[in-house]
Amino acid sequence: MKNYDVIVIGGGPAGMAAALKSSENGCKTVIVERNPFLGGILKQCIHNGFGLHYFGEEFTGPEYAKKFVEMIEKTKNLTIMTNTFVTNIDGTNVDITSQNGVDRLCGKALVLAMGCRERTAGNILLNGTRPAGIYTAGEAQRMVNILGKMPGKEIVILGSGDIGLIMARRLTLQGAKVKAVMEINPTTSGLRRNIVQCLDDYNIPLMLQTSIFEVLGDGRVEGIKYGKVDDRYNRIPSTTKTLKCDTIILSVGLVPETDLVDLPLNRVTKSVMVNDYLETANDGVFACGNFLHVHDLVDNVSLEGAAAGINASEYAKGKLSKGKVYSLTPDGVISYVIPNTVHSGEGEIEIRFRIRARIEKSNYVIEDESGNQIMKKYVMAAMPGEMQTIKLKRDLIKSNLTLKVVKL
Amino acid sequence: MNRISKDAVIIGAGVVGVSIFNDLTRSGYDVAIIEKELDVSTGTTKANSGLIHAGFDCKPNTLKAKLNVEGNAMYPEICARLGVELKRLGAYVVGNDEEAVNNLMEKGKANGVKGMKKLSNSALHKLLPNLTPEMTTGLFAENAYIIDPYFYTICLAEEGVINGGEIYFDYHIKSIKQTANGYVISNGKEEIITPIIFNAAGAGYNDVAKLLKSELYNVVHRRGEYYVLDHSEKDVVKSTIFPLPTKAGKGVLVTPTVNGNILVGPTSYESDDTTVTTAEGLADIATKVKKMVDNVNLGKTIRVFAGVRSIVGEDFVIEPSQKCKGVINIAGICSPGLSSAPAISQMAIGLSGLKYDPTIRCNKIAPYTNLSKMSVAEKNALIRRDKDYGLIVCKCEGITLGEIKDAINRPIRPRTMDGIKRRVRAGMGRCQGGFCNDKVAMIISQENNIPLNSVVKEKSNGYYMLSRSGVNEKL
Repeated sequence: MKNYDVIVIGGGPAGMAAALKSSENGCKTVIVERNPFLGGILKQCIHNGFGLHYFGEEFTGPEYAKKFVEMIEKTKNLTIMTNTFVTNIDGTNVDITSQNGVDRLCGKALVLAMGCRERTAGNILLNGTRPAGIYTAGEAQRMVNILGKMPGKEIVILGSGDIGLIMARRLTLQGAKVKAVMEINPTTSGLRRNIVQCLDDYNIPLMLQTSIFEVLGDGRVEGIKYGKVDDRYNRIPSTTKTLKCDTIILSVGLVPETDLVDLPLNRVTKSVMVNDYLETANDGVFACGNFLHVHDLVDNVSLEGAAAGINASEYAKGKLSKGKVYSLTPDGVISYVIPNTVHSGEGEIEIRFRIRARIEKSNYVIEDESGNQIMKKYVMAAMPGEMQTIKLKRDLIKSNLTLKVVKL
Repeated sequence: MNRISKDAVIIGAGVVGVSIFNDLTRSGYDVAIIEKELDVSTGTTKANSGLIHAGFDCKPNTLKAKLNVEGNAMYPEICARLGVELKRLGAYVVGNDEEAVNNLMEKGKANGVKGMKKLSNSALHKLLPNLTPEMTTGLFAENAYIIDPYFYTICLAEEGVINGGEIYFDYHIKSIKQTANGYVISNGKEEIITPIIFNAAGAGYNDVAKLLKSELYNVVHRRGEYYVLDHSEKDVVKSTIFPLPTKAGKGVLVTPTVNGNILVGPTSYESDDTTVTTAEGLADIATKVKKMVDNVNLGKTIRVFAGVRSIVGEDFVIEPSQKCKGVINIAGICSPGLSSAPAISQMAIGLSGLKYDPTIRCNKIAPYTNLSKMSVAEKNALIRRDKDYGLIVCKCEGITLGEIKDAINRPIRPRTMDGIKRRVRAGMGRCQGGFCNDKVAMIISQENNIPLNSVVKEKSNGYYMLSRSGVNEKL
């Protein structure tokens, strides 16, 4: 058994930022990471576009991770446990398995930064046969960027999530033919810049309201039957076509890795609910990063991780004092909001949320119980793929709140 | 050409073929299985409900009824010998047709099934709190088990191998020639000479019968689709729950699996020999299960699959060929094939004229390493001995590098990724191998000393990855 002030599960961009802030704040901190290295999924994201917000400089994924690793290595009070798996969480303590054996780590505070897993063929009930040649986007990315191998030659990507879009470009550059990116929704779920830079620039067709009806092939994927779906995702059989391919890559969403957590989950984020200190319903247990909700940019992941690290270390020191608690509820086109509850008091809260559909020339408005606007922020245009952020001063909080969009 | 002589050859490494293989090797015979795929248990045996039925719903006085009840009684001893988990959870049949339940009770009695009882509406709902109110009557049969059908078959095959049997994988029969004292089976590279052939090729029975020029049967294929639910749902039912059976089969059931998942299915569609899942089939299961049990959350599906079963008329076909002396035809082994397999084996061996005497060779397989069944002290002792047991490769199922290496270095060395999955469950959890497929492929490559881009998922053309320049190496 080993004792720490703060235990951070997950050594990706959220966990690293949390652990850094916690140890800088004077707390004896440990990062538990299942991979042999820190950095998480960043290590396989060899494209650029990371760090502009956090470091004011643009990096590739491995470079961004290296920046953090270098800071971590210079930090005292911070233990790194790689190749170490958390098998159980008990309050703010965790049970681990590693090559040193089975052990228990006891913490005064715990930060959950385990990230996400990808949705699979089974999750989306992909029909047809189940041959080799069906990969999640992250699995294919690791194969190409870390192992230096290729998943196949003729590729169809299902889902227009950012990893799928980036893999469309990556596989094209590596000599594969990406025949189509198919998206079941009428809009893409990835960032606009990725549609332009990864698909348009390489003439890769994006087929909206389109899905795979059947996988063909016995030993290996040999093709697909695909077609259009209506607004309620019902297949339109008359539109069925066949396309030859040897590989299907799924970019159909991420699910937070909440398996070890015994807490009620939010229906939309499929993760735990937190207050404005990023603390879950379990005292001293904090959550951040893609584990808490799927972010658009890694910079935002690290910013949230840093905030969780500061709060967890303050909690470990017994210095986290909170005011009166109120709810914060999303309304209308807003699909979810983090945090789920807020406290009155001092300082400012970072509120993060997503919208279900594109909006233009509107105000984000926070209303109190009596319907009075306590703050608003103008938004010119926003898309579902982009995470939205507004700030709220705690001294304005005096009742339960609602966040909504008001069209101007 | 390489020539080998055997006392008997079994065609097909499903649960029936492997049961015969196991019984004959233990009886001291020199036997071989020839299998077209790369592993045992890759056809009907890998894709079914994983149940050892009590035997009450078979038509009395059929082979199905007789062999199911006999096979059921044999399983506990075989599983204990092999170290394979067999859970006696019992099975419920529920519905709203009192007469149909009475009929089943009668059939059970006629088939010699013990431990059945009829349940009143209130008793039923007390025992199964999440049964829908429409389910007003039912029965419970205590002698029903759940089992991991592929793991069972693998262990049975391994025991056959350590008792002297041989398995030829990736063996595609080109010809079978009848000679004065038997048969010569050839794949163009390796000839096997044998006086006795068991055609246990399952869905491929007629393909083999054509080569043998033995009896062809009117084989109908029925496809059954299933949902596999996440471990989070494992408590939704504690026993197998069937609806009242129909002509098409036992209907859509809900059952726990020995590995802590929930299985919902199957459909039963007449189709080609194919294992596709369909939107219609999956929707059909969803509708049917909802009528029977509340709270089965299909939103927690981690995998859908389909299996194919071959049907010849109403009963199993297990008989000596009239056209080919020394050939035993085994066809139409649909449900309850898994339950009956040990008894089918005994019957088929009896028909072949060989003598079942398991006292001749008694080597036992070593149990699989399974850290999830160990205490902390046992785990630590193991990790101290070999650090590979401390490195988890499949995080969803908690499978370590040591366990995977051990599974490869067994009497039958798996060389496919699905083979690893069936042995130690790496890749069978909620991420479905998204995080560990590449690691498993690398371990297979290293342990078997084969190139990474020759590792296949299941079938010989099912390569998992290509080289950077887009090549895969076929072994």
